[in-house]
Amino acid sequence: MQLTGMLYGSKLLRYVEFPTAEVLGPEASEDEIKALIVRHGSVFVKPVFKGGVGKKGKAGLIGRARDLKTALAEKERLYFVEHRVGNTAAKAQGVTFEGAVPAEHEVYFSLTDSTRFRAPTMTLTHRGGIAIEELPKEQVAEIPFEALTGLKAFVIANALSDIGAPKEIISPLVQNLPKLWELFHNYGMTTLELNPIRMMPGKGGRLVPVACDFKCGFDRDDPRWQRLGLPDHLFAADYSDFEQEINQLRTYQGQSDVYVINSQGTILAPTFGGGANSLVTQALGDDAIISSDFGGNPPYEKMRDVARICFKYWLAQSNVLFIIGGKSNNTDIEATFRAMADALREHFGGHGPTPLYVVIGRGGPNLIRGMGALRDTLEALSLPYRFFGFDSAMSEVVNYAQAINRWMKAGGREQLAQRLGAGARAGTSPATGG
Amino acid sequence: MYTKGVGPFKYFVGISSLAEVATRDDRVCVLNILGGESSEVTPVSHAYSGGNVVFGTSPGRRGQVLESQLGPIPVFNSVREGLDAGHRFNTGVVYLPPSGVRDGVAELARVNPELRKIVIITEKISVHDAREIRAIAQMRGIDVFGANCLGVADSWNHVRIGGPLGGDAPEESLFKGSVAIYSNSGNFTNTIANYLAAAGWGTTTLVSSGKDVYIHFAAPEFVYALSNDRRSKAAVMYSEPGGYYERDLVFTKPIVACVVGRWKAKLTRAVGHAGALAGSGDDAESKERWFMESFGVNALFTPENPACSAKGAVVTNIAHIPLALTKVMALNGINLDFDPRGSLDLKPWFANDQGLDLPAEIKLPVVEAIAPYNAQIAQLQQQIGRVFPRQSMKDCSGVSIMDAHTQITRQHGISILECARQPLESNLCQALMREHNGANDNAMINVVIGAEVNLHGDPMLAAADASRAAGNAPNAVLSAAASILGPGRIDAARRAADTLIDLFAHSGLLDARDESFDLRKIVVSDAARARFMADSRDPKAQAMVKAVQEREAKSLFLNFVRGLGDHVSRDAVLAAIATTIAWGPLMRKRISRETARNLPWFLRLYATLIGASVSGARHEAGRFCGIPNQEILGSWSATDLAYLTLMGERANPERLFAFQVLVGLLISNGVGSISAQGAKGAVSADGPQSPERVQINKAMVGFLTHSGYSHGGAGYEGITFLVEQFRDTGLADPANPKHGLDLAVMARRFAVEYGNEKAALREAGGERRAIPGLNHPVFRDKPVNRDPREVFLQELFRERGEYNAFHEYYHALARALFEEGVTRNVFCVNIDAVIGALLLKMLWPRYRSGAFSEHDLEVAAFTIFLYGRMMGCAAEIDDHINRGRNMDTRTAASQCKFVS
Repeated sequence: MQLTGMLYGSKLLRYVEFPTAEVLGPEASEDEIKALIVRHGSVFVKPVFKGGVGKKGKAGLIGRARDLKTALAEKERLYFVEHRVGNTAAKAQGVTFEGAVPAEHEVYFSLTDSTRFRAPTMTLTHRGGIAIEELPKEQVAEIPFEALTGLKAFVIANALSDIGAPKEIISPLVQNLPKLWELFHNYGMTTLELNPIRMMPGKGGRLVPVACDFKCGFDRDDPRWQRLGLPDHLFAADYSDFEQEINQLRTYQGQSDVYVINSQGTILAPTFGGGANSLVTQALGDDAIISSDFGGNPPYEKMRDVARICFKYWLAQSNVLFIIGGKSNNTDIEATFRAMADALREHFGGHGPTPLYVVIGRGGPNLIRGMGALRDTLEALSLPYRFFGFDSAMSEVVNYAQAINRWMKAGGREQLAQRLGAGARAGTSPATGG
Repeated sequence: MYTKGVGPFKYFVGISSLAEVATRDDRVCVLNILGGESSEVTPVSHAYSGGNVVFGTSPGRRGQVLESQLGPIPVFNSVREGLDAGHRFNTGVVYLPPSGVRDGVAELARVNPELRKIVIITEKISVHDAREIRAIAQMRGIDVFGANCLGVADSWNHVRIGGPLGGDAPEESLFKGSVAIYSNSGNFTNTIANYLAAAGWGTTTLVSSGKDVYIHFAAPEFVYALSNDRRSKAAVMYSEPGGYYERDLVFTKPIVACVVGRWKAKLTRAVGHAGALAGSGDDAESKERWFMESFGVNALFTPENPACSAKGAVVTNIAHIPLALTKVMALNGINLDFDPRGSLDLKPWFANDQGLDLPAEIKLPVVEAIAPYNAQIAQLQQQIGRVFPRQSMKDCSGVSIMDAHTQITRQHGISILECARQPLESNLCQALMREHNGANDNAMINVVIGAEVNLHGDPMLAAADASRAAGNAPNAVLSAAASILGPGRIDAARRAADTLIDLFAHSGLLDARDESFDLRKIVVSDAARARFMADSRDPKAQAMVKAVQEREAKSLFLNFVRGLGDHVSRDAVLAAIATTIAWGPLMRKRISRETARNLPWFLRLYATLIGASVSGARHEAGRFCGIPNQEILGSWSATDLAYLTLMGERANPERLFAFQVLVGLLISNGVGSISAQGAKGAVSADGPQSPERVQINKAMVGFLTHSGYSHGGAGYEGITFLVEQFRDTGLADPANPKHGLDLAVMARRFAVEYGNEKAALREAGGERRAIPGLNHPVFRDKPVNRDPREVFLQELFRERGEYNAFHEYYHALARALFEEGVTRNVFCVNIDAVIGALLLKMLWPRYRSGAFSEHDLEVAAFTIFLYGRMMGCAAEIDDHINRGRNMDTRTAASQCKFVS
């Protein structure tokens, strides 16, 4: 859950009275843009991306305009621009117009929790406005501080002295930067980055720090961010329908994290627990449809809902339903497997049979009862299956699932479809009585 | 601000050796000890560790205990109370919900100066709270394990603290040896220990670190403590992307590092463990490199390319850990801890390729599982039908669930709207068999109902008549009959059903209609044979067999019992028919054996309740309601019969359908309804843990006594209201759209009157009674409100081209009330209105002709409700017998209130 840009950034900064550049949103009228240019001499036109997207400047995605005509041309260029970083692409949804802030000094500031220091940590330099990694270490202050007392003025003063910051910027920063801890700590953030903060001359020539760009990440497990009243759509940017439906299950105990790896995949592998998820996703590669961590010991209802949603979206294209994990410590295997079996039976009841091979590798409490329940259902649905205990290596079971998948692709699927009468898809559940 | 601890750290660390992580001397206090997870895990940890938990807390539950093998663990409201009671501990374990963890840590740190360690099991703690937890612990000099972890364990000390490492049998995974384990994944902590044991390596200390942003006891601390632990000769470390915990580690002992999660670098947002957001140089590849540089190797270790040094190896697959470890240890001259225990090769425990032609390399044969799982599998193969785990079933149901938004109840996953499309005979079975009937099953049950509905000469009928004569409502009348159908009258049929199940369960018979099955395979003892025989020729048995033949139904079991001799008893025939119906679901393990053996009882109860709802005069030796017995047996359906009891005639298809829909809709309103509660209470009181002792007829009486004029009479309220509106209109046929009445005008007139009256009453401080059938608290927040059940039914009848003036009137009324300003939106016509309208449409001709009084209308409405609900309650009774515990529906005294 990340937020970038000044459109919402300026609103958040105002909660703690931190000065910001003047910003207009995509809906700004020509008169408003013109007035903004008049007040500030020029404006920056920046595309609005949902979620965390960085390095826009480097990609030439920031426009600058000194007149309305250029501003509108830049608006047209950037409104729906696509920004590609590595494998992922993001599409802009509008632009902002930000009043230019004249300044001699640009400051970089960020707050995050450092795993090196094991404490909240401030990163600060007076040589901001560029990528922080490119600066020599001695010009960057990285200072951990005490969470219970927070970011205090003296921490900032010491840091600025250490890196030899110009003296005229020290006092304004010491006065203003501690406010950002309030925003960071009290509203459920995990990172906050302002780059640049431009030091604008104010009344009497005294410098005022003005935030000109904004990035933050929120903690999904912290309800404090909801105090900000941000619209939900900001965080729903690139979730598919499937992911959104699954995400709703987060209200149950434990987590429900899911990611579509390959929407053309043929192995459906819902996994429980982070370890199994990492291992399986890595080993399956492009065969996997989803990568998921539904948390340890899911209750029956959650498990059944998870399975129901997974089946609804992916079962028709799946060759293999692959349920894999180590020897669980506390997860009740019977509850999990029974829930999956019930969801599978219901799916077949509603949608008719689909060719599917079921491969399982698992250990844990009530293992045999769970395997028994699932076996009975698969027998009733006439589906082929092979279950391995926890004494078979997980990675070997993954290889086996892939071998079955290859066989299904090479004619096995047709063979099975014929046996199931899956051509007659409108048919009733094979579990209907005599 | 931090307390100075051990080692070179710039923050507090108190553990100098892994031997100190989980010791025999540690004494533990568990916060939220009675929570769902702790109450399962803590007793096992306590027993494994020789009784290390001194007490637990759970606010408001002081005085309770958590039972364990080593005796009860006391519970206090707070930590201070436990300390005041004289308990001492040095380790806190936190099972609190996420929002409470920080305060729990503060409590532990503040009130117990002897505290040295905290293990936090809870997941989803906010980073905000983790920051503050870190600061509190640093200030006080406390080591924290977790959060979001499964705790710590020590195979040498035989101790585990916190979470469930090793599951419910820690000794199966925690073998004493020479390898320490550190893992970001809780499950893998255990799985790696199992893999090591298979290769001949045991363990010293196991640390499940968790994978939050803040890992308090992390890799640097682990490695430092490893160096100082004389027992540990090496370690396995499992890491995932995110965080710099593994960077710049200083190793003094061999390490096998497993780094998994390269794929996460492709993602732009966190998946899995909260801290595993990859990118910025702490992704899986970076971590692999950090380890490889430390070990002086230039490749990942795989079986094909076993790259390793005496310092260690890096793998990306946990299955390669044992081999890598053995190789690294060999370079250090260290031998296995013990002989390998098993192998990690593929060993299928269950398989069925369903006759598919799989190539040999993937057609792996089933192998016998390791103990104790092999014995469990053998037992499973013998098991007949489904076995449900027992639990408290108070307000719980494995049968029905009502959707809070649509108010539509599902029974065995099938919506009652769908049930309403099914004939009564199919619904009677679905309640117990969990699936609707095919044609054969319908024929079978119709024979049973037809055979048992006529109660001529039976004391059940006399009892029902006496109850009726005393002015009782139909529920009390039917209770009198049901009370008499006790176990003594059904045991012979249940025994016969039991015998059939024993004889055929392992015979390979899957379909009871399969009359080609070779019966010579079935060996019957004399004692078994006797269970199917009567002393002399039993005419009822003969008639039932003949009826089955007339209906061209198939039953292997019927053929079987007939083959045993001439004098087959009626109980044997009943058992054979019931077992034919139950066989498919039983073999597919959809139902329990208990359900199958009780089916004859349920079927007779169904028939008895239908029969007893008409007076004794209509039960004659050869006829029921004027229809010859043989005709009923040979051709009538249960739906026909139920209709006959109420209307005294055979229905035309339209009326029969309306009747079927009505009964179907009334099957269930979920487990919270009073009738279901009555039925379940009756089962609970008999003690379902001794299922053979539960009196099913009494449980049906429980349902009947828990229905009444309020619960069961709602349809009648609707009828009364409609009768008031239509009594003087001269309406002849409500099914005819050309009835000549202007329903809109009628509705408006009523709405105006109702509005005036309501206003006047409000002035006087009173309240006008609501109109029965209009509005439902759940469906009233839109401009026009519809109950989805009502919408479904309106569509259903519209499709069939059937009109109902009463139903239309209700819609007109809802609109008129809004238009006249009486209601602020268009109220919803609810399901009670539909039931009233359907019923009255059916009864209207008789009411108009004077054949039915208003009292008769009420009796009919109530009886239809009972017909529907007897199925839903039969399902709840059966479910409670299968799953419930003795006396589980009682309410704890602390939950009860006194009012004065």
